[in-house]
Amino acid sequence: MQLIGDSLVIGLTEHAPLVLAAIGFALLYRLTGLMNVAYSETVTLGAYFGMWVNTTFDLNFYAVLLPAGIMAGLVSVGTYFAVFRPAKRRNVGTLELVIISFGLSIFMRYGLQFVFGYPVRFYDVPPPDTLRVLGTGVSTFRLLALVSVAVVSLALYWFIQKSRLGLQIRALASDEGLAQASGIRPLFVTVLIWFIAGVAGGLAGAFYGVGSSVVPFLGWRQFLFILLVVLVAGKRGLGGVIVVGTATGIALAALTLQTHQAYYAQVILIAGFVLFLKWRSKRTAEAGKV
Amino acid sequence: MNLDWLDAFLIYGFFTIVVVSGLGLLLHLQLGLARIANFGVVGFFGIGMYSFGVLYVKVDWPFGDPWQFLVCIAAGTLAAGLSGVVVGWLVGDLNEDGVLVGTLGFATAVFILATTEKELTGGAQGMGGLQFPYDVGGVKANELLWLVITAAVVGGIVFYVWRVHRSPYGRLLVAVGSNEPLARSLGKPTFRTKLWLFAVTSAGMGLLGAMYGVMERFLRPTNLGVDITLAAMVALVLGGSARVWGAVVGVVLTVGFFDIIVQNYLPVPVEWYSQALPVMREALFGAALILVLMFRPFGILGDMRRDKLMRSLHGD
Amino acid sequence: MTDPTATLTRPVIVVQNAVKSFSGRVVVDIAELTLGDVPIEGLIGPNGAGKTTLMRMVMHSTGLDRGTITLWPHGAVAGGGVVLSNLPSHRMAGHGVVKSNQVIMDFDKLTIWDSLLLAAAASKSERPHRIFDEPRVFAEASDEVARYLDEFGIREPSTYAKSAGEKKLLDILRCLLLKPKFLLLDEPTAGLPEELTAKVIDEVRTVASQGTAVVIVEHNLDVIWNLCDEVHFMAEGKVIMKGTPAEIRAHRTVVEKYLGEGHV
Repeated sequence: MQLIGDSLVIGLTEHAPLVLAAIGFALLYRLTGLMNVAYSETVTLGAYFGMWVNTTFDLNFYAVLLPAGIMAGLVSVGTYFAVFRPAKRRNVGTLELVIISFGLSIFMRYGLQFVFGYPVRFYDVPPPDTLRVLGTGVSTFRLLALVSVAVVSLALYWFIQKSRLGLQIRALASDEGLAQASGIRPLFVTVLIWFIAGVAGGLAGAFYGVGSSVVPFLGWRQFLFILLVVLVAGKRGLGGVIVVGTATGIALAALTLQTHQAYYAQVILIAGFVLFLKWRSKRTAEAGKV
Repeated sequence: MNLDWLDAFLIYGFFTIVVVSGLGLLLHLQLGLARIANFGVVGFFGIGMYSFGVLYVKVDWPFGDPWQFLVCIAAGTLAAGLSGVVVGWLVGDLNEDGVLVGTLGFATAVFILATTEKELTGGAQGMGGLQFPYDVGGVKANELLWLVITAAVVGGIVFYVWRVHRSPYGRLLVAVGSNEPLARSLGKPTFRTKLWLFAVTSAGMGLLGAMYGVMERFLRPTNLGVDITLAAMVALVLGGSARVWGAVVGVVLTVGFFDIIVQNYLPVPVEWYSQALPVMREALFGAALILVLMFRPFGILGDMRRDKLMRSLHGD
Repeated sequence: MTDPTATLTRPVIVVQNAVKSFSGRVVVDIAELTLGDVPIEGLIGPNGAGKTTLMRMVMHSTGLDRGTITLWPHGAVAGGGVVLSNLPSHRMAGHGVVKSNQVIMDFDKLTIWDSLLLAAAASKSERPHRIFDEPRVFAEASDEVARYLDEFGIREPSTYAKSAGEKKLLDILRCLLLKPKFLLLDEPTAGLPEELTAKVIDEVRTVASQGTAVVIVEHNLDVIWNLCDEVHFMAEGKVIMKGTPAEIRAHRTVVEKYLGEGHV
């Protein structure tokens, strides 16, 4: 029982940003069909922007979230105009596009070190109190992060699933021609999606960053899990991403407690997810045949 | 032999060129012919490196060098080949997204295990005890000889790739990359073909990893960063991913430029060597990948020319 | 017409209780159908009758909702049946079951020579260590390939197939090079110029006379009437009529109802 309680608490608090990051990635994936490797850098930059605003203007962490999210969102839109839109216009193939996004990811990851410097950076926040939840000690800070992530995730979910603009986004994601015919401004909505995805990634990054440290590899380290969550959730929409993301966080925590080694938990989960993808592809292998 | 004229950095620069060329050539078979984007090159490289290292250092062999060395390096190659079969089985029938996840996940797993298995690998501190299987007098001479041996191995890889282009096997790989369902309908076992492709190319990557480890003499998980995969991919894409010589041309222009020209001959400030230069190198590699694929997707050498090839093989 | 007495060693494909529906709509629903009784069989019917889907089901490139499709390599009585609907699609050719494609399918990176040698090459020559096998594959296949190239007037086989017709022809030639025992042709003459259509028909007659069972889906009914020994008329997923071309044409009202006037 203790294990279940611990896994729930640690999984939810420690891995909450994963859900947020996965939502942003899933939005882009559904719109463009693109596995955008450079998304991991949106996460990293969110952490850096937050740290920069926090330390430069001496702002409270929660006041930092808004500018960090917006800046990450703008960078995301910037990558769309600088790279992905021109690439689409040049009819670059799917495979090449994945490699391009890989190149962009590397470029940004190393490029940002020229801007923010090489050393590891930290947020300047007061040391948090510790509360006991279900018998496990949790920092107030992590609890607040969980609440914030939950609120932002649900707000995004509501926005995409219920609002009028959200409807347009979903329309554009499922059928560009149809969306255009029904009077949606594709460019505006596309930019909106890239922006929202960037905001979600950036906020996730800020939460990751404040939880530990800010390093150039911050987003890249999470990227594989973001990718796995979104692929495993498949076409079940944002609800599926939230469920799988949460479950992944809890599973990581539980496996870590079992094996006493966070790294083993990751290896087991990676193997399990890839096996699941393999199993699912066997069942849906119909499509690509003559 | 007096080797004072030869700079140690220069040997290392050329060694890197040779090893990355080999990786790029093997990646060419996957990406250029069969159109499988392997983002986990460093994983196979690392399996070979560490399997060799652990077997060589930790196991009490009843025979000494060079047999111990040869047996271990063969085992490392075999281990990488087997891991290639496993990864190939996992991703062989997945689309680009699945291949990205599978290969990336594999590389991550290898990195993690190299870090956690302290008993075997020394963990993050690393593992020493590797050495050349010979001594021809002095570190520099040994390294130079190792460079020559590695270059010979990569020469063998060039020959293999060159022959593959001129063989029914190469034709099948191109067919799989170009229209897999159609190849299957012609009775070609495309899944098994990919499995064997992964086995052979991964074994080659593992061999190069082991040879790289010998040159490094000290294995650390930081050797297994994404920069290896990146270097092989940039070189291949820049040179021409569908051409035999694409990877070699690309490596000379990318790794060659940074690790030979910039490192040895350009007057860069000394304090740049530790951080600014490596970071600049990776950032520019990333940018090159984007620019080439946008503006010249087939690289410097252009697309493969099977029409010319068929004419030269079989006449008009 | 080919000689119907040559059916003894011909393979037979038996379709039993085969059902396939796409999003609720039943596209194919066949209780029992035997293909291969006669050398060349035609499959006709209106658009959407399920002809192409049935062919794809035979090749197992479309899965069956239920039912089985069995190949009897030496006729239904001889035994040794192979359940095709359990086989992966690449194993079909190994059992001699081969289908040409309705839509244009090509390897855009391969030249015409490549494409034909690929079809002709044996699997054992295509393993990773067989890097010196090209001369052997070429020697084994080149005579036959050259004959096809010559017959169909392909002048520059070292270049890539350009026109849609050329690609379509290439698709059929690849199938012929696989030495099929059971050849399914899905609209083989669509998009081909007339003189090539005639040559393709000749080729089909030749392989049929050598013991290959041929099933052909075709909209050009002249081809069907000229070529086939027996015709199945499909509508709404079922075979509603079966007979010699003359018998089918006698049911003028049915054929015209489905295919429009002037087809009989």
